[in-house]
Amino acid sequence: MHELYLAESILDIVKEYAARQKFKKVNSLLLSFGRLSCIEQKSLQFAFAVQARETLAQNAALHFKIIPPVIHCFSCDKDLEVDTYAAICPQCKGEEVILVGGTEELQILEMDVD
Amino acid sequence: MKVTVVKNVLDANDRIAAENRALFDKNNVYVINLMSSPGAGKTTLVERTILALKDKYRIGVIEGDIQDTYDADRVAALGIPVVQINTGGACHIDGNMIREALPTFDLTKIDLLICENVGNLVCPAEFKIGENAKIMLLSTPEGADKPAKYPLMFQESAVMLINKVDLLPYVDFDLVKARHDALSINKNLQIFEVSCKTGVGLDGWISWLTDRINAFQK
Repeated sequence: MHELYLAESILDIVKEYAARQKFKKVNSLLLSFGRLSCIEQKSLQFAFAVQARETLAQNAALHFKIIPPVIHCFSCDKDLEVDTYAAICPQCKGEEVILVGGTEELQILEMDVD
Repeated sequence: MKVTVVKNVLDANDRIAAENRALFDKNNVYVINLMSSPGAGKTTLVERTILALKDKYRIGVIEGDIQDTYDADRVAALGIPVVQINTGGACHIDGNMIREALPTFDLTKIDLLICENVGNLVCPAEFKIGENAKIMLLSTPEGADKPAKYPLMFQESAVMLINKVDLLPYVDFDLVKARHDALSINKNLQIFEVSCKTGVGLDGWISWLTDRINAFQK
């Protein structure tokens, strides 16, 4: 459900930049978020498509850079990228681990505009 | 043409939250944002916390619910100023909803403001409201897999209350796993095992909160 709010906030930022930088059309947006941040890419895409109608971002494509979860294992003494989060080291199976990446919040990195 | 932005999408909300925070600081109000799944026991914790602290601090409550005033009615029955925010379908409370609710309180007469969020383990974790601390409940019937499934909530919280420990004999809840998984997401997380129904374990929570309020008001 929060995707609707996020889509609205993306559009607000786009409009703010358009007013400042005098562009008329947004072709695409590059966004990033951590895979564990509970953002549903398809829902966001849908919400954005609906809300962008009749704005300068109508039909703009959303591209995503999704940041994978990373854990630090104290036994291996290193950071490891994982597919899904579990509080266990995928290599040594040790339980002395801590989550260090993957919950990054949604950011706009770049816009392609005319 | 490419335009580099690098901006948090929730920046506008963060700004409003910071304004709320400034207002709370000015009036010396300690604010907690209480979050959990629906039915984990948030309102019962609010009632317990009020009963334990109402002679010591002036308390106000904001109740976030999708609709209805059941929770607000329970709090109002304790003689505490309460505002109900009906989010009208939104799955969380955000900085702006809190800002709009604030004029109904006299903040100069409040020491502790409890904001009970909408029951949801996902969205509320993302939206700052200007709180001093995010507090979450995990109830034993929900299962111990929640930290691994909803890590953001556990990462953002300062305290996790494991509620309904009186039901432990009847549910398959692995306390060791819940603690371990939650701490591997947030090593600073304070964990209290409680039953808001029987009152077991609530002393630890009340004394944690009292210490925080006192330190803040100094």
